[in-house]
Amino acid sequence: MRSSSNHILTSHAGSLPRPDALIEAWGANDEGALTQQLTTAVAEVVRRQKESGLDVPGDGEYGKAMPHSVNYGAWWRYSFVRLGGLNMGGLGLYELPARRSRPGEVVLTSFADRRDRTRFAAAYADPDSGITTGPRPANHPVCVAPLTYIGHEAIAADIRRFKAALAAAGLEEGFMTAIAPASASRIGNMYYKTEEELLYACADAMHEEYKAILDAGLILQLDDPAIAENWDQINPEPTVEDYRKFTMLRVEALNHAIRGLPQDRIRFHLCWGSWHGPHTTDIAMRDIVEVMLAINARAYSFEAGNVRHEHEWKVWQDVKLPDGKLILPGVVSHATNVVEHPELVAERILRFANLVGRERVIASTDCGLGGRIHPDIAWAKLDALVQGAALASQQLWH
Amino acid sequence: MKVSTDHILTSHSGSLPRPDELIESNRVREAGEPTDEGAFQQTLRAAVGDVVGHQKDLGIDVPGDGEFGKSVGNRVNYGAWWNYAFQRLGGLDLAGPSLDHMTPRRVRAGEIVLTNAASRRDRVRFVAAYADPVSGVFMGPRPATGPVCVGPLTYTGHEAIKADIANFKAALAAAGVEEGFMTSVAPGSAYRIPNTYYERDEDFLYACAEAMRKEYKAILDAGLVLQLDDPATATSWDMIDPEPAVEDYKKFTMVRVEALNHALRGLPQERIRFHLCWGSWHGPHTTDIPMRDIVEVMLAVNAGAYSFEAGNVRHEHEWKVWRDVKLPDGKLILPGVVSHATNVVEHPELVAERIMRFTNLVGRERVIASTDCGLGGRVHPDIAWAKLEALAQGAALASRRLWR
Repeated sequence: MRSSSNHILTSHAGSLPRPDALIEAWGANDEGALTQQLTTAVAEVVRRQKESGLDVPGDGEYGKAMPHSVNYGAWWRYSFVRLGGLNMGGLGLYELPARRSRPGEVVLTSFADRRDRTRFAAAYADPDSGITTGPRPANHPVCVAPLTYIGHEAIAADIRRFKAALAAAGLEEGFMTAIAPASASRIGNMYYKTEEELLYACADAMHEEYKAILDAGLILQLDDPAIAENWDQINPEPTVEDYRKFTMLRVEALNHAIRGLPQDRIRFHLCWGSWHGPHTTDIAMRDIVEVMLAINARAYSFEAGNVRHEHEWKVWQDVKLPDGKLILPGVVSHATNVVEHPELVAERILRFANLVGRERVIASTDCGLGGRIHPDIAWAKLDALVQGAALASQQLWH
Repeated sequence: MKVSTDHILTSHSGSLPRPDELIESNRVREAGEPTDEGAFQQTLRAAVGDVVGHQKDLGIDVPGDGEFGKSVGNRVNYGAWWNYAFQRLGGLDLAGPSLDHMTPRRVRAGEIVLTNAASRRDRVRFVAAYADPVSGVFMGPRPATGPVCVGPLTYTGHEAIKADIANFKAALAAAGVEEGFMTSVAPGSAYRIPNTYYERDEDFLYACAEAMRKEYKAILDAGLVLQLDDPATATSWDMIDPEPAVEDYKKFTMVRVEALNHALRGLPQERIRFHLCWGSWHGPHTTDIPMRDIVEVMLAVNAGAYSFEAGNVRHEHEWKVWRDVKLPDGKLILPGVVSHATNVVEHPELVAERIMRFTNLVGRERVIASTDCGLGGRVHPDIAWAKLEALAQGAALASRRLWR
């Protein structure tokens, strides 16, 4: 993985806006049209990232089904078609019954029972509030048989398209996202005896996808919002200690899934959920930063560009980033339509660079921009990111 | 005007979420349907009482009346702060073309004219995003008609402002709060409508200044703090196509500042605050003029305090302007440290951080923590209140650090 040796490198968290034709092809589920759209669309999105000046591009997560222009779930739902042992007839995320946690006994409740959603029920329900996350899938998977990885062809096609696009654009390094076990295992379970067994089965299955991405010479980005956003999905609020214990189990399963794989090319993405809600019940970075750093990745991507987490750069005044590791703070965000001023982007980058060193910061986005904000605004934000990184580089390498 | 003598005072930019009952009463009244005026006034009075009490409970030191006397007939509304003036000015024909549908106007070098709302430069650059109903840029139902000045401008809002003041003063007294502010639109913003009466643009501007002066005077005579809302000082920049030279824009804007100062002549400056903003719609705002280019123009306004956006990602970095620009002695600033521009509620630690960037540059006594723009109509009511709570909590954190 490249580090910022002579300027602040830029990347992003993964999802980019899909062209309308691709969204239609996903909606129509027409295999032929889809294959054709994907090949041209991935080539185009890589070319456009290069043109924008992004140093470490992705494939925009285009191989992960997104049938609607407003979409917050492709990063996750794609795994349901790549895992065997699932039955898709389970209740939807919002229809599931609420579950109450007790001290020492942490369980995830339903989406409808999330604490921020409960506190701001009227705002979440108001179509004018801007919190809509697009059409809601009516169903959710239940594990009914041994979990297996069945996405070999899909990931091979993703890799083939992305590598061809990188080669055509003359780019060496690119990243591809894959979901981490903690986030993927948030499904119904009628097969495994314990949650832990399901989690490890998920880790073993997803290992195949991680290996495929890394064997292809790409950077693997592990998407694992569950590490942070599960906090809001536990009702009532647990103690930080209970939550850390609950989450460390998930980190260990992830480390199991990436055992023996080249850490140098693995980056980890933490987030608090990308929906446009108030986010008042997000857990503080300070309370989970050590849990995040226990993950055997080379680099850590996290939200730092929205008003709930912007102040958390200060965490790095007290927490030492282990030697050789990098961070990818979000310095532009999906959380506002306003396009970040490049001077603000530079200011945010400099705060991190001053604490951990300029070589150890890659400027990134809070979360994926695709599906969460209008495409034209998304691209304007990536432009601002690149411009801001250039301003910061001028100051840091003058 | 109170200053932050032993803690960072908190206030906000004016508009607060209206209760549904008041919105419905306004809608019926605006539609010209028969209404019981007595019952309406009672609803309004009760709502102002509640909103002042709520601000006090949250820890807002300098409350407003939420602009509740300025009619809002829909939950999503970005225009009440200036539309209300058209109900309080004589000489207007209100059945003119909608301000969105006026003819776009181009400018030549050295000449400045405002184009129509639909041709604003940010709107043209991001035309697909502005037009997309799911982009979040939605500004609520737009008026089908707009005002045209067809006769001498006069102030006809005496009864309305009297009722606003009475409602607000009663609410302040009931809550045991001494100081409160009331907003009123500045001439440079109010007169951006078609005019077929005045020969010269400047005559129209000064007629507007003379008319609105009556409202300013009424608010100040009542012992309240007057907040002048004048987004035109900053937002007109985006309304000039193509982008003009900064010098030309400053000259254009200084004419409006002089008209405002003319309207304020002889009025008590220590109870006047000025509100600058770049427009509160949820657009990309890439064509906002930098604060650095207009800060001297703003400071030329004869006010005792200046309120401006500093809590959104287009203007957050502009605290640095105060490293180079001296805030004149005795004046205060009200930077926005929470914003309407995102649904995410600001973390109190971020609010404190933002406040301290300003206090480190201009001194703790000269900062009142505020919002970017009015929150009413621009974010969900429950989110608006959560943001005011975060503002008060953040100011308390900053105060502990600044007065320890």
